[in-house]
Amino acid sequence: MYLVGVDVGGTFTDVVLANTEGERTFVHKVATTPEDPAQGVMRGIRELCERHGLAPASIDHVYHGTTIATNAVLEYKGAETGVITTAGYRDILHIGRHQRPQHYSIMQEIPWQDRPLAKRRHRKVVRERLIPPQGAVLVPLNEEDVRAAARALKAEGISAIAICFLFSYLNPVHEERAKAIIAEECPEAFICTSAAVSPQFREFERFTTAAMNAFIGPAVGTYVANLAAGLAHSGLKADLRIMRSNGGVATPEMVAEKPVLTLLSGPAAGVLGGAWAGALSGRQSVITFDVGGTSADIGVVTEGRFGEATARDTWIAGYPVMVPMIDLHTIGAGGGSIAAIDPGGGFQVGPRSAGARPGPAAYGLGGRAPTVTDANLVLGRLDKDSFLGGAMALDEAAARDVVGEFADRLGISPLEAAEGIVTVLNSNMANAIRSRTVQKGIDPRDYVLVAFGGAGPLHGAEVAQMLSIPEIIVPPHPGITSAVGLLTTEIKYDAVRTEFQVSSQLDLERLDRDYATMEAEIRGQFARDGIAPASARFERFGDLRYVGQGYELRIAVPGGALSPAALEEVFGRFHRQHEAEYGHAFPTSPVEIVNILAIGIGPVPKIGRPAAPAGGSLAGALRKTDRTVFRVDGRLAEWDTRFFERARLPVGEPIAGPTIILQADSTTVVPPGVEACADPHGNLVLALPRGAP
Amino acid sequence: MTDTTTATPGTAVPNRRIDPVTANVIQGALENIAIEMGYKLMRMSYSSIIRESEDFGAALVDLDNRQMAEARQSTPLQSGPIPGYVKGIRRQLGERGETLRPGDVIMHNDPYAGASHGPDVAFIVPAFHDGALVGFAATTAHHLDIGAHTPGSGGIVDAIDCYAEGLRFQAIKVYEEGRRNIQVWHMLRTNLRLPDLVLGDMEAQIAAARIGAQRYVELITRYGAATVAAAAEDLYDSSERRMRAAILALPDGDYSATKHIDGFLDDPDPARRDLPIVVTLKVRGDALTVDLTGTAPQVSDRPINMPLEGTVDCAVWLALRSVLLDSAVHGHIPQNHGLTRPITIVAPKGCLANPIFPAPVIARFCPGIELSNAVVEALSQVVPRQVCAGCANGGGIVFTGEQTADFWVHVELLEGSYGGRFGRDGMDAVDVLYANTRNNPIEDYESHVPLRVNRYELREQAAAAGQWRGGIGTVRETEFLAEGAASVETEGHKYAPVGLFGGKDGALSDLMHIAHDGTVKELPSKLPYFRVHKGDKLIAHRACGGGYGDPFERDPAAVLADVLDGYLAPETAEREYGVAIIGGALDRARTATLRGGRHGGGRA
Repeated sequence: MYLVGVDVGGTFTDVVLANTEGERTFVHKVATTPEDPAQGVMRGIRELCERHGLAPASIDHVYHGTTIATNAVLEYKGAETGVITTAGYRDILHIGRHQRPQHYSIMQEIPWQDRPLAKRRHRKVVRERLIPPQGAVLVPLNEEDVRAAARALKAEGISAIAICFLFSYLNPVHEERAKAIIAEECPEAFICTSAAVSPQFREFERFTTAAMNAFIGPAVGTYVANLAAGLAHSGLKADLRIMRSNGGVATPEMVAEKPVLTLLSGPAAGVLGGAWAGALSGRQSVITFDVGGTSADIGVVTEGRFGEATARDTWIAGYPVMVPMIDLHTIGAGGGSIAAIDPGGGFQVGPRSAGARPGPAAYGLGGRAPTVTDANLVLGRLDKDSFLGGAMALDEAAARDVVGEFADRLGISPLEAAEGIVTVLNSNMANAIRSRTVQKGIDPRDYVLVAFGGAGPLHGAEVAQMLSIPEIIVPPHPGITSAVGLLTTEIKYDAVRTEFQVSSQLDLERLDRDYATMEAEIRGQFARDGIAPASARFERFGDLRYVGQGYELRIAVPGGALSPAALEEVFGRFHRQHEAEYGHAFPTSPVEIVNILAIGIGPVPKIGRPAAPAGGSLAGALRKTDRTVFRVDGRLAEWDTRFFERARLPVGEPIAGPTIILQADSTTVVPPGVEACADPHGNLVLALPRGAP
Repeated sequence: MTDTTTATPGTAVPNRRIDPVTANVIQGALENIAIEMGYKLMRMSYSSIIRESEDFGAALVDLDNRQMAEARQSTPLQSGPIPGYVKGIRRQLGERGETLRPGDVIMHNDPYAGASHGPDVAFIVPAFHDGALVGFAATTAHHLDIGAHTPGSGGIVDAIDCYAEGLRFQAIKVYEEGRRNIQVWHMLRTNLRLPDLVLGDMEAQIAAARIGAQRYVELITRYGAATVAAAAEDLYDSSERRMRAAILALPDGDYSATKHIDGFLDDPDPARRDLPIVVTLKVRGDALTVDLTGTAPQVSDRPINMPLEGTVDCAVWLALRSVLLDSAVHGHIPQNHGLTRPITIVAPKGCLANPIFPAPVIARFCPGIELSNAVVEALSQVVPRQVCAGCANGGGIVFTGEQTADFWVHVELLEGSYGGRFGRDGMDAVDVLYANTRNNPIEDYESHVPLRVNRYELREQAAAAGQWRGGIGTVRETEFLAEGAASVETEGHKYAPVGLFGGKDGALSDLMHIAHDGTVKELPSKLPYFRVHKGDKLIAHRACGGGYGDPFERDPAAVLADVLDGYLAPETAEREYGVAIIGGALDRARTATLRGGRHGGGRA
């Protein structure tokens, strides 16, 4: 069976082709085509098939990570969107939580006010009102209001409409009826309801999620349809599955209906790819460390499972979005990050980045700001002739110039400055990892750092040292780990309900009923997608908090009918999780079940283990010997360093650092005291000395 | 410490105590610790005023009572005062001959010893390394009730002295050397309404402060106390240099502004209303003195006085920093002691901005916002393109139920809006200046307390005209579904946010009480606890920020957008902006005629 993974990034579209039986994996990179990313996708698949003599029709599945939804939001290029909402609440989307993004600023912008997903003129109100706790009708839906609003929006040329009623998560009847009326009036429009997109309390966040879904709906729908048609036209008969932010895939139809589910499509695949690489070498608990030119994405996988961010922690481009997303932390740190002295005299690296153009000075495209890549070159850690497999020669003199100027301004030597740039960047990244681990009660020393992306393997070892992480893994193809991750996913659908049930007065029957209803909904979706119900499995969770709190923790809930004893066990888990995450628990306080979640997982074919590397010899792999600079025990020194070609390394033979390991899509730095070894599973494993600082 | 690196002449970097890379690494770690404290406090806490409104603070303080880092999630009026709290407890412990020991946790809320006001209780954990005191981790938070004479900790506008404001804590050890001082906790439980919520929040504060102290000690273990101290000094210097450079860029001179607060508009005593707050900024080179001489005398028996340390200083720093080192322009600048070094604040003893004990201060929030407004307005004379026109003040209404087993308290913090800015309209419906809290989701609190929000929208026909118009305030209608009460603490019923450079003044705030029998009553901006019946409604119209620049210079397309969005009627567009809009479209010819006679003037 042949599987293809396609991950569209800002610069490159990565394609991976895997044969599940033959343990063969082929990779290919083509330029991304920003105006219509589907062109790049199709070209990449076509070229890869041609290169390996494979008929497109023999591909069984295509898994796709897309940035189309994300870019529409980031660039604020979506449909002119209309909102129909409850009378009295026209401006929930504009007022938000009445908090400004920055404390200390007069000139700041507020994303939801300066870049509204729906302008006020297109926000129409209708008479209706539901009330808690059960969603009883206080004011019946005025259907004439709905019809008039729909007609007005149509007259205004609106092509996408979100229906956002207060308390609809308790009772979707009004929203559904309004949707039916609007569909009659505006048959061409993209229409969604807030309860269908995200049936959870918190009106600003839910309405924003629904409005964003409408804002990007038409563009994503068109893209998905074009891509499916294009693939068919190219002779592919494969099923197309699209990566969601939750780490699962969905059908094109579902994505067209709820595009907001794909906002973290690409980065989520990276976490999966990192987890897969770790698992190859038997490491189930990993921190994924995906570093590119401008940003670093950090994910945590514990015993093979990754966490989901809670609904209050998911934002995109400054807008809150309440949809399931892999818990992923992004910071502005990468190879292109610029070093600067701030006006107070402080030494900063990032978040400003030189990007791909002009890029670092070493690219020779006119960049004049010292970047991390320039610093790595000055330190001898990058080989100027091997960058991108030799496709781009780096300009060493230009890098020395900009780093030298920067050093002069600091009054230190160029090597000190270069090493400082790398150390400040590493420290920023280590702090980011600390915030996802130590600060949440997770000990990073129990984890392996999986370093990938173009720049991850350059910095992984030193970042791991800062955190006392004992081992790092560099996957076989660090630069395309996200595309590989696409081939390790599953179909994953989820449903959520707000419950607000308190531990002292539980309605177990209602919980059982609601879980069962949600699972039935998911089964229905599976049936529509042609997934055999027998192959699916379900997981249940609850979002719990102490009564009065405002943030929930996600706790696993057992399947089947819930007994009081089973719930006691759930509450016990909650107390323990609270203690672990916050350093404190209130075991005698009542607990509130805020939301319940059901997740249905349908297996899909996955990439197999790669063939064992052929192995070579150190002598055969040695490319050159050169000088590199590292700081050891506080002292900066030059070291004689061997540069090896990764593909020719012998398997199982340790190599003492300092050494540099080259491959087309990345460079792995092995600092002094660290030992590298190509393992039999295709990974490069770096062992760090115990008791690091 | 001595300087180990000497910068060469002509370089951008002045003297340092340690190398810049280590400095950066330690500074990042300090900030990370403060953020972790904030994160944990916010997530653990029970009452909506902390976890939703984010009315809390978290910071690390050094041995000399200087702020090293603050949690970014916290609200400025909470983190800013923390060094003053630490200074206050050290003074009071010293006076009593008591010492700090490992394992101590100290509770403090004395507004005459660093606290911002009584409800903002701090929990301070002294950090020890090898038996030596190395610094402090502290959290503050606004508690739902502090045992005042009426329920809830807001709208206590009739307290006649500090004693009437609630419990007072002067450096009380709730833990002594790790042992819980159980008697104190009994006393708290007896004297606080809603003790489960309030004590839960206090426990959360302690847990977060302890984590901060632990992380800080870990940092010192790793780098050594001297290195961490040197990094902190470099950090202060760096922040100080940025503030000094910004002040140096201002021409030397004195710049004044006066704002008035409503005070108690329904009070027969004129000394309790229409009170001036006067600010004179004295710029001398790279230093700045903020002189509050001319500000009204304190109101000795009403709580609208502002502690000099804990409120006035925060209001001044916030306003200066937001204008001179605007983070949207200058990027993230670490918040620490260094930023405040170039600034001296002078306030005559016995004025609103420097009251004498036991003058009450619990309702100091709104006067402090007007003080910030005055600072921004004074700066408009020198940096007109960096300021905004007058901001609409905030405040709050405390809603409470009957004191039965189901007793409840809900604090609704009312937003304001910003004045217009050079090149941008004012921000609509947000907390302003030293406040930056969040509202509560209607779907959350209607599910938990017997209140219903019938309307929460932007005001129409209310935005202040300007080349860049003022931000728009909200209207909020809240209905009681059961018997209860309310206490009101707000501002701006009489004095409107001012327009700048030809922009119009903003609309006023008002508050109406619609009784269940239909009786309508307009309420003043400060009203102590009053009974409210089932079916009664309170409607709050919030003020709109002032306009900036001549409205006749406003881009007609922006005027059209406001008309299409329903903020502005076409007739008003003609009258205030000289822009003709017919049938939803711009009439250029008529606009030219309307605007013909009126050009120039008032532009920044």
